[in-house]
Amino acid sequence: MYEGVHARPDGESTVARLAKTAAEYGFDGVVVRNHDDSRSEFDADEITAEYGVDVVEGIEVRADAPEQASGSVGNYRSSTTILAVHGGTNAMNRFAVENEKVDVLAHPMAGSGDINHVLVKAALKNGVRLEFNLGDVLRESGGRRVRTIQSLRKLREIVDYYGAPYVVSADPRSHLEFRGPRELRALGDQLGISPEWIETGLEEWKELAERNREIQSDSFIEPGVKRGRYEEES
Amino acid sequence: MKHLPKHLRPRWRYLAAELESWPDAAIDRRAFQRELWYAGQNLLGDPGSADADLSVVRFDFGDGTGKTVIKVRHGETESARAALACIDRIDGSPVGIRVAGISGTIRAAEEKFLGKRGQVPSERNVVFENAERVAVGRNGSADIRLDDAFVGATDLDLV
Repeated sequence: MYEGVHARPDGESTVARLAKTAAEYGFDGVVVRNHDDSRSEFDADEITAEYGVDVVEGIEVRADAPEQASGSVGNYRSSTTILAVHGGTNAMNRFAVENEKVDVLAHPMAGSGDINHVLVKAALKNGVRLEFNLGDVLRESGGRRVRTIQSLRKLREIVDYYGAPYVVSADPRSHLEFRGPRELRALGDQLGISPEWIETGLEEWKELAERNREIQSDSFIEPGVKRGRYEEES
Repeated sequence: MKHLPKHLRPRWRYLAAELESWPDAAIDRRAFQRELWYAGQNLLGDPGSADADLSVVRFDFGDGTGKTVIKVRHGETESARAALACIDRIDGSPVGIRVAGISGTIRAAEEKFLGKRGQVPSERNVVFENAERVAVGRNGSADIRLDDAFVGATDLDLV
């Protein structure tokens, strides 16, 4: 199970500390998805070797308008393993689900954002994962939290109906905001989300990372075709 | 009042949990108990939190880390776990909480899951992002003091 994190300068902890904490909480990996205007520099291999946690390089493209985001998506696609788009407005949500270069639409229900059957069908078609962000359930209270839970329920009902892909995250911005997989499953249970459903969402990060690494590796040519061991360099 | 016969007494489970915060956090048992009950009430409602009980029976916090044992009614451990996960900050200090394990007795919970004492944290001067800083660290972790906040780092970030 993987967790999508924001590291310093986006958050308050370094990638190494987040990876160390992830190992202590029982995660297999972290996806570093800093926003594109505050990226973090780190040596993923060194951190993986030290703490035994897979560190996936990701990015969350944040933009005011789709035109602006479109350029960023093109720029970062080939250099990062997981590309997410900062959702939360209807324009950006729509942009993300209609773009097959995008892996994850982060927090689509945040702010003024909303999701309907059209967007979920587009996400299914383009393989864009919709994120279930449990951060506000864990860290907010009162009316805001009620509205977050309402929006998560709406999202889950539509995603469930169409069988669209999704990821689950507690969205930690420091090592203190991590919560373990069993805690997230227990929380899901209270929200009417089955524990298996939460687990699938946490696993999805890993499958996404493995798929993209394969696609981006040198031996990959196109789906079903890759350079075999008999190929001779000429 | 005469105590209940054994088969009528409620059965308890004890959650052993580890706490973590910044080095300057001061959290006492009363504050933690208050936040736990609030979290239980907010997430589980009055009936749910009454069922779960959620009393703090052991609590120890100092130098930014702590451990606690929480009494929960048998069969309510998962809802207690969820409530515990929703504690975000205590007296203004952000906290990380991790359930280490669940036992049938307080003693087993402490011995099995909270046994080892961590190293005593040490302060040292480090260079972080090209500036000289003070770091408080233990077991390979380092909390670096900036002008107005802390940064969570590890020995890997410090050269």
